[in-house]
Amino acid sequence: MTRRSAAAWLAVPVRWYLGVLFIGACLHKIADPRAFAVDIATYDILPLAFVNLTAIALPWIELVAGAMLVVGFRVRAGALLIAGMMAVFLAALAIALARDLDMSCGCFASQGAESDPISRLTVLRDLVWLALTTLVLRCDRGRFGIDGWLDRRSS
Amino acid sequence: MTGATTVRRPPDASVPSLARSAVEAALIGLVCAAVGLVVNGIRPTGLPLVAAEPYQTLVPCPEPGGPVEAVEAGDPVVAGPRTFLVDARSPEAFARSHLPGAVNLPYDWLDPVPESRLHELATAIASSRSTTVVVYGDGGRPDSGEHLGREISGRGIKNVHFVAGGAPALLTGEEP
Repeated sequence: MTRRSAAAWLAVPVRWYLGVLFIGACLHKIADPRAFAVDIATYDILPLAFVNLTAIALPWIELVAGAMLVVGFRVRAGALLIAGMMAVFLAALAIALARDLDMSCGCFASQGAESDPISRLTVLRDLVWLALTTLVLRCDRGRFGIDGWLDRRSS
Repeated sequence: MTGATTVRRPPDASVPSLARSAVEAALIGLVCAAVGLVVNGIRPTGLPLVAAEPYQTLVPCPEPGGPVEAVEAGDPVVAGPRTFLVDARSPEAFARSHLPGAVNLPYDWLDPVPESRLHELATAIASSRSTTVVVYGDGGRPDSGEHLGREISGRGIKNVHFVAGGAPALLTGEEP
């Protein structure tokens, strides 16, 4: 097995992991957009005019991008969406940490700062996820997914 | 002349180009945002597109707290010859009674101790050649002495203690 082929195989479980992760992360935000809007406002980065729009739209992008990775449909586009969101989340976290804000990241549930405070570990965790997304972006070849199935049908 | 031959890997035809994927991603993102807006419009509990008022976010500022150690009222360190005593209670309570040699530095629950007062305190501690600082407060829950001790310790003054139980444990006639 070549390195390229091994990486393509490795990208499959990573793709599923990231997909499930993003689907899991968006559910509470879709269920309770008001709480997510408060989480966004707590970062104090976006102007008030964009807080609600972001709280309404972002979870659906997370949901669809996560689903695309899970089922292997337009994987590169899904991975690009997730990489873009991860980059934005990382920037927001870095700004909040630089300001010494004692707050929750709001990534998976609207928890208080006491139970889920942001820290350098949160940034490290997001960096790992961004690296995994890059792996999927570069190495996934549509195995165990709709992309691969469509390719086989057309060839 | 022989030259090194480089073999370019053929592009994988099954993988779309990055540019094409980026366009797809942008379109999918727009469609998802539109779906989110439609669902939000249908929901009875949907958010207004623009918040009318700023959200009330509670982000406590980090407190410059340092380590403090609790000591009992009868601990020898409280009456030690190289102990600097600080009374965290109000000036009125301090005037009523206080330990001999204690300095009054009232603790305000809303405002940090001014830098100038802390500087004066540090100077007084240094000139007294004390090795230990003992703070006592009102003995309540929370205890002003403990909090003042943390604030003093957080500003770089070392070996700070607070008296568990505060003034009521040290002075007769004082209640928490």
